Amino acid sequence: MRQHSSSWAALAWVLAVLIPLAIQNPYYIHLVETIMIYSILLFGLDIVVGYTGQVSLGHAGLFGIGAYTAGVMFMKLSASVWLVLPCSIAVTALFGAILALPALRVSGPYLAMVTLAFGTIVQILINEMTFLTEGPLGIKISKPVMFGDKLTEREFYWVVCVMLGLALIFVHRLLRSHLGRAFEALKGSPVASDCMGVSVYRYKVYAFVISAGLAGLAGSLYAYSEQYISPNTYNFELTVLFLLAIIMGGRKTRSGAIIGATIIVMLPKLLDDIELFRWVATTAAVVIAAGAAVGLQKQWTHPKAVVIPVVGTLALAVFSYQLQNMTDWRLSIFGLMILFVVYYLQDGIVGFLSKLSPQGEVKMDSSATKIATQAAELSPGSHALGGEDHLSTSRSSNPVILNAQSVLMQFGGLKAINNVDLVIKRGEIHGLIGPNGSGKSTMMNVLTGIYQPTDGQIEFNAKTLVGRASSDIALSGIARTFQNVQLFGEMTVLQNVLVGLHHTFESPLWNVALHTPSYLREESEANTRAHALLEFVGLDSLALELAHNLPYGKQRLLEIARALALSPELLLLDEPAAGLTAPDIKELITYIRKIRDSGVTVILIEHHMDVVMGICDTVSVLDFGQKIAEGKPAEVQANEKVITAYLGGSTITA
Amino acid sequence: MEILLQLIYSGIALGMIYAVIAFGYQLTFATSDTLNFGQGEALMLGALVGLSLVDTGGMNYWLAIPVVGAFGLIQGALVERVGVRPAIKLKSEFGWIMSTIALGIIFKNVAENIWGRDDLRFPSPLDESPIKLFGANVLPMELLVIGGALLMMLLIEFFNRKTIFGKAVVATFNDREAARLMGINTSLVITFSYALSSMTAAFAGILVAPLTLTGATMGSVLGLKAFAVAIIGGLTSGLGIVVGGILLGVAETTTGFYISTGYKDVPGLVLLLLVLAVRPAGLFGKSAIKKV
Repeated sequence: MRQHSSSWAALAWVLAVLIPLAIQNPYYIHLVETIMIYSILLFGLDIVVGYTGQVSLGHAGLFGIGAYTAGVMFMKLSASVWLVLPCSIAVTALFGAILALPALRVSGPYLAMVTLAFGTIVQILINEMTFLTEGPLGIKISKPVMFGDKLTEREFYWVVCVMLGLALIFVHRLLRSHLGRAFEALKGSPVASDCMGVSVYRYKVYAFVISAGLAGLAGSLYAYSEQYISPNTYNFELTVLFLLAIIMGGRKTRSGAIIGATIIVMLPKLLDDIELFRWVATTAAVVIAAGAAVGLQKQWTHPKAVVIPVVGTLALAVFSYQLQNMTDWRLSIFGLMILFVVYYLQDGIVGFLSKLSPQGEVKMDSSATKIATQAAELSPGSHALGGEDHLSTSRSSNPVILNAQSVLMQFGGLKAINNVDLVIKRGEIHGLIGPNGSGKSTMMNVLTGIYQPTDGQIEFNAKTLVGRASSDIALSGIARTFQNVQLFGEMTVLQNVLVGLHHTFESPLWNVALHTPSYLREESEANTRAHALLEFVGLDSLALELAHNLPYGKQRLLEIARALALSPELLLLDEPAAGLTAPDIKELITYIRKIRDSGVTVILIEHHMDVVMGICDTVSVLDFGQKIAEGKPAEVQANEKVITAYLGGSTITA
Repeated sequence: MEILLQLIYSGIALGMIYAVIAFGYQLTFATSDTLNFGQGEALMLGALVGLSLVDTGGMNYWLAIPVVGAFGLIQGALVERVGVRPAIKLKSEFGWIMSTIALGIIFKNVAENIWGRDDLRFPSPLDESPIKLFGANVLPMELLVIGGALLMMLLIEFFNRKTIFGKAVVATFNDREAARLMGINTSLVITFSYALSSMTAAFAGILVAPLTLTGATMGSVLGLKAFAVAIIGGLTSGLGIVVGGILLGVAETTTGFYISTGYKDVPGLVLLLLVLAVRPAGLFGKSAIKKV
């Protein structure tokens, strides 16, 4: 499928390159050029919207910054295009960083409003800073000079083609790399990303800055393409159009971005031509009505669901015959299209088409399969637990791996953990039990930095954990699973484990873009290790399945594999046996023992007493946030306080 | 000094308008964790409908206010039904953000086609000659804006705290699921909060219209800056938005006078970026504890 789609992309690109040879009319060439420039921007916007799941309303502003960087450099410095393009990318990326650093601390509606505010500021500044930008007058630019010659319209078209091709390869490689996986992971489960050492904040900023860089490239090309720029182009309307393009074309696909770009470039032209619009509106109404009729007959859908789109498109068709002039109603049409896409075409046109065609369902990835078979040829499980090298080097002589002293975690007036001491010895399985609400999971969250303790000391390998970020703690060697499973649902089983292996990648962005040997080696090593880990928990045959399609028990095992990918020294398992069948639990016990035997210290929260008593070396018991007992499993089992806590006071006297 | 005081007066009046719009954001955020990105357009529609009633319909300004309020109620309920409810059902944050933006664009475009693209003058219901207050001029209309905005917010606060329906709103805010299980029709509460929110915006529109020019584009930036106020004040603090609104209003009128009117929107937007960088929960809001 991958080779397939890349060869399709290459073919489409060659066709685009040939267009100016077939069509002489400069108007059409310019139109296709604009589509390609918008596509570059949309590739970038898709990283933010599609992959990291953030809403940016600031991309028109970034586009404007790119265009004005080019314009100002041309006007004031007569700079060469070889300098202008990299500078536009760098300047816009810098502005992207200035916006992202404060804005990405928040998400959702906050982020949308903040980016909108940013876009508005950019427009105001372009308008007001006349000494630099000529304000509302705009800037005239001529086509760039390359190799001593000023480019013609047609030659510049080819420059844009090359840039589109490069952007496509760059984005494609980026999104398939560990960076792309980090972007998807932080959308899938922010908490789990942080606990896998992938700092949500840092990678959100990273994604936004890359996206801004692409917007800058698109902006500077746009300036050369139009040969005139003025502030009013980069307004709210354009930013909304970009978002419409992304969601209508289809998120997380490059073809979707190109389709979206085509729609937003062609649509205004379409609306200028009322005859054409009437024809399209009528066709759309007929198609939707027919689709609804077929859908109802085959019972794919029910009448209530189809009534709004059918009535809506019919009304639009009737409306189009009432009007003499469509241009004034352009924005309303955009608005209606957004509503339609948001509610009826959530996966965009590409998503809709791939749902229709049967092979679209199968998300087979031939390169991954190839690696899978390679991995299978290797001796199974040899590197499953991260290789002894890691453990032997990091193992220090200190017998205490984790030392928590008088930890207090207070939520308002509630002391969820009240002065608890917890000492974990290296190489043991330490059980943490207690009735529901006794503070076990809170303890886990404190240890992994999700909560900052109100008071107390926590030392891991003699270094304090208090005040450190989750991702930092994870990288220092503490991995965990979650009571309510936190997988990256829309990623494959293999990719989930690869996110855990994120720390093994050292390649910077340019290595990823250029596919340097060192990056490729890292990728293949990570793949091998991920397969070995999956094999260890018996999930290797499901490597290419989406994580949310796994049954619950297997999801829990996948979480363990993902946690092991961090090569932790300390593994926190939060109720790993919950929801597992009896034979599965037996298997789980052997896994936990194997993990311990490979040198990883384990803290186990569990309600299945047979599991706890069977494998733990030491058990601590919490009740109402306080530690009421600690010792060998048998001692704890006989402790009266523990029995009271679990069974209530009256039974003990009976 | 006199000029500064005068700028502060008009800054306070402007700030109260921001506070009322921000109050509208709080109302819907309280019940459903969603906001109407077309809040500024609700204000614009209120002002323009008011203009038609007063100018074309020959209606008395004071009588037009409740009619505009009723119009706002209907408009807000419509936004909720079309734009927000389906998205809440789909649990799609992206969905309601985009659909309220889309509805805002549609409202703006429709207004452009009905009332034209030019800014119109709204006849002032009060005497337009300024009165002296502590040595500086203030327009009677500015005093009306301040008083009207405060009254509006107090009335809704009173409603929420004292009436049984208001208690349902508060319960929905505290825990939507639990409120629903207690027999509260939470989706009706959410619709109602949108209706109220648009009503306050429409009311703000007809209040501010005589002070500024009225037109289809008047709402967008107002809505955005009111969001800055809502953030500065915290999305849960009533006092916060009044203080935040006044801060921003004064910052704006002084910037407009001492630097350039072109830059007058900048301080609010920069403030928005800064507050989020320093205290994402706002200066007055409480930060929520994330649960795992």
